Amino acid sequence: MAKTYLKGLIGTSIALFIFILFLGASYTWWNTATPDKTCARCHEIHSSHSSWTSSAHVEISCMKCHGTALENGFKSLSEKSRMVVRHFLNKPDPDDIRLSEEQILGTMERCRSCHQGEYAGWLTGGHSATYADIMLDETHNTAEQLNFDCLRCHGMFYEGTILDLVEPISKQGPWRMKDEKMAGKATIPCMACHMIHSKGEPAQRPDYSTPENVFYRRMRGNNALGFYFRHEKTHFTPDDLPKPVILSGKDTVQTPADPVYRLCVQCHAPSVWHQAGSSDDHTPAGVHEGISCMACHEPHSNYQKNSCDKCHAGKSKNCRLDVRTMNTTYFSPSSKNDIHTVACTDCHEQM
Amino acid sequence: MRTNRREFLYHLSLSCGSILLIPACAGNDSEWRFFSNEEARIIIAFAEQIIPSDNDPGATEANVVNFIDKQLTGPYARHRNEYRLGISGIVSSSEAVYNKYFCDLDRDTQRDFMEQMESGKLPEEFWKEINQRTFFNMLLDHSMQGFYGSPRHGGNKNYASYKMMKLDYPHVIGQNRYVSKCATEKLRDT
Amino acid sequence: MKNKHVNAVVIGAGAGGGVAAKELAFAGLSVVLFERGGWATYNDHDDDELISQRITVLGNAFGPDDIRHPRVAVNSDGSTQVLRASQGEYSNNAACVGSGTVSYGAMGWRFMEKDFKMKSTYGHVEGSTLDDWPITYHDLEPYYEKAEWEIGVSGKSGANPFEAPRKKEYPMPPFAYNKSANLLADAAIKLGLHPFPIPMLRNSVSYDGRPACYRMRSCVGFACPVNAKNGTHNTVIPRAIATGNCELRTNCQVAEIIIDEKGRATGVKYFDENNRGRIQKADIVIVAGAAIETARLLLNSKSNLFPDGAGNNNDWVGRNLQGHAYTGAFGLMNYDVYDDVGPGATLALSDFNHYNPGIVGGGVLCNEFTPMPYHFSKIRPPGAKRWGAEHKDFQRNQFKKLIQLIGPFQEIPNFESRVTVDTGIKDYWGIPVARLSGTRHNYDLTGCKFMSERAEEILKAAGAVYTWQSVGGRGRSGGQHQSGTARMGNDPKTSVTNRYGQVHDIDNLFIADGSLHVTNGGFNPVLTIMALGYWVSDYIIKNWNGSKFR
Repeated sequence: MAKTYLKGLIGTSIALFIFILFLGASYTWWNTATPDKTCARCHEIHSSHSSWTSSAHVEISCMKCHGTALENGFKSLSEKSRMVVRHFLNKPDPDDIRLSEEQILGTMERCRSCHQGEYAGWLTGGHSATYADIMLDETHNTAEQLNFDCLRCHGMFYEGTILDLVEPISKQGPWRMKDEKMAGKATIPCMACHMIHSKGEPAQRPDYSTPENVFYRRMRGNNALGFYFRHEKTHFTPDDLPKPVILSGKDTVQTPADPVYRLCVQCHAPSVWHQAGSSDDHTPAGVHEGISCMACHEPHSNYQKNSCDKCHAGKSKNCRLDVRTMNTTYFSPSSKNDIHTVACTDCHEQM
Repeated sequence: MRTNRREFLYHLSLSCGSILLIPACAGNDSEWRFFSNEEARIIIAFAEQIIPSDNDPGATEANVVNFIDKQLTGPYARHRNEYRLGISGIVSSSEAVYNKYFCDLDRDTQRDFMEQMESGKLPEEFWKEINQRTFFNMLLDHSMQGFYGSPRHGGNKNYASYKMMKLDYPHVIGQNRYVSKCATEKLRDT
Repeated sequence: MKNKHVNAVVIGAGAGGGVAAKELAFAGLSVVLFERGGWATYNDHDDDELISQRITVLGNAFGPDDIRHPRVAVNSDGSTQVLRASQGEYSNNAACVGSGTVSYGAMGWRFMEKDFKMKSTYGHVEGSTLDDWPITYHDLEPYYEKAEWEIGVSGKSGANPFEAPRKKEYPMPPFAYNKSANLLADAAIKLGLHPFPIPMLRNSVSYDGRPACYRMRSCVGFACPVNAKNGTHNTVIPRAIATGNCELRTNCQVAEIIIDEKGRATGVKYFDENNRGRIQKADIVIVAGAAIETARLLLNSKSNLFPDGAGNNNDWVGRNLQGHAYTGAFGLMNYDVYDDVGPGATLALSDFNHYNPGIVGGGVLCNEFTPMPYHFSKIRPPGAKRWGAEHKDFQRNQFKKLIQLIGPFQEIPNFESRVTVDTGIKDYWGIPVARLSGTRHNYDLTGCKFMSERAEEILKAAGAVYTWQSVGGRGRSGGQHQSGTARMGNDPKTSVTNRYGQVHDIDNLFIADGSLHVTNGGFNPVLTIMALGYWVSDYIIKNWNGSKFR
């Protein structure tokens, strides 16, 4: 009797051991094989996979950004099983499958592990505002009532509406976050302006044997820009974004040729009459007409205090003036000459 | 216990093995939700005539067939039978009138064929269960919707039609908080 | 659980119903406001052209759905067809809190004095039921003012030399013209006409706490992302609920008004959001479901004293269904006039509303709301190719060169244009559905032709290199401006309600929507419907003494 029992125990242990080996082997294979043999077997992510293979992130595995089913414990396991259930029950159209906001924000936390500099820049700038910063701001909320359109520019990934997010919808506060878990989350995260699965090359060292490749033959860098448009739930590359007609009175303003401008102006947009400087618009008119946003504003941090020095010598040869001390908003925020629209004629007679 | 072990191994291999079958779910005879590959070819050719490609993308590039296919599994599910009948009507009529498959007709002949269909002049024997003019008009409407509607419905790939019409999309429009110019600016002296 | 008895039940949270619910709640009456739909927001369908309330090819954006709410239509050859809610011929408004006011074009017109006196002004029209209203413009004037201030209208009083006299200015300044309006205004002035800005139920400046309109091109058929479009859902209904006296019950389908043996309404039978049949007892019942649904409800409310439907012993319920025959002209300039400034319609001409030579009535002409791409694919001159390279070329090159002048011609009502209930087809809840039959009076075609000719002249004067007319007036009436099916009148033999919207013979049953209209004016009717909401409520409040009417 005991012998049979021992035999059974050894047998079960061997079976268990083989099973664990099998699990381990499958797990290793799943995490090391190329995605087209694993994740991308499923036709629902086929298009995301194929755009990834021609993107700058092609050497980074899916799991590095999107996480695995096991890493967040029970939570991610249950999320993944819910996705499987939804696949079989609701049969969503592959065209309509998108990451949820939580998944997107989770992915973006991982951007940080490689892009620490960009993250740090973003964190110190105006675009790192959280939902609480934006939705509970007294100056804004008393100037114009909270509405659905707010989320177009900050909160574009939020899956509910303004009614689910903050209350009361009124110009009189005090306001509170109705959806409390959003309070500390970023309203303008990486993917508001960046499209990860977009055409590009991974960064690589230049061929130093031909030094001109590092100077004048250097290829235009890829910055994977893409404006996330809330209503269509897709990204628009800067080339696809409209180049708006901006006016100053009746005259057309020459808008910057830099494609980045088209992205910035989507949120920093003029009112419908397209006058430069109206609403949130900062299209340079006046002396800075046609100059790209990025010429003065560092990407991510948007820091602009070093900007004058980049183009203007200490004392300008023409006017013998230090531009940093002229009567503009660079010098003093209360100046009526906004740096974006300041023109010579603001201070000098027409010649 | 021997039996139990065998059963256990059997069930284990079944469950592990079935995971490997999941990729097979992705596989399908047709690449479309409703259309067969052949039907889709016909719709693509038809839609391309309705909105041909020139300096700007036409129906094929804008993926109009994807719109129609997608809607046929949604709000247009009621039109499924009409599509099946209509497409076979097109195939039969083309054989009868030109002795050729519709997709193999050259562009001008195809257009000719469609004009006949639009005026109800194709041989009636193939259009007993569905009216050719009604079907033509429906295909016309659906193609236009697929080309000019929002891409979220499956067509208008890359906003081809909005770009062609030079419509700013997304709208470049800001908020009202700073000086509402609506009421004062450019108002005529009435 | 049984419902508690309330003072008033209002059926339909739309333009008239919302106003009535608020007025009664403020007067201290307990009110239950029934709405068959739910709350609608911009987020539901944002800018999607194919699912809007105007282009409904993939469904109605704000209801009703295709499955549960069929109607029947009788064609001119006598054949019938079952209509889905998203079909054009269905004559839909919406099914949501605020109903059409969530997504409408929001023109806020007062009718003119003669619009209430069409028969006295023009005489009898053969084969029609053209008649005067039992009330005059002056009766309604203070209520128009109330609607303009409480719901919010932008405009400039005095800008329209033909407008009916008004005591108070508009609460908000008018909307600035867009490029095409400026062009048409110049042309109109050259012709000796009198263009003026359209009064809008839309904030031109911040009003009522909500932002000003920021002039998005996609407006009519869509909800507003900044909540600048004024309707009953963002003004009177929340105020009614805030009093604590009004309970809004959404997703409830009212099936029947219960009339007792004494000929009084005692309440309504309805299906709640779980589709359970319930009863709500009330002292007063106010029906505001828009002309077609209101008529349907009255006709389905049979009782011993009213075997053909509540208030229908004279067979006038459901009769005189009218709407507006839209008519006008299109033109193409040889340079771009499109400037992306919404809502597109800003200019109006009231020169052709009345006293047109040889024409009874008329209508206002306005430059039209911005067409969206698919809608524009259907706008072509007669004889133009409907598909192919030319069609695409037109779409590409002419979209920004299009100008339009369109307007609602005041239909001549006729008795045979009507709403009945179908004996066979029932909706999801087993309630017999509305059946639409009849056609417009053939006079409408004459009037529309006249208006289109005037519109074309103006477009030519504006410099259009090519123009064509789009003449309405044919076919079945109804549409979004549906009205007339329970007209008010002094003679109980030829009307359904008295001058206060009180159903003849049923003291405590009222109508507060467009069904009351005897004639429908040459303007979008919503402000008149809102004014009537105030007018009817005012009568109830002044005359209801707690248990009966004085």
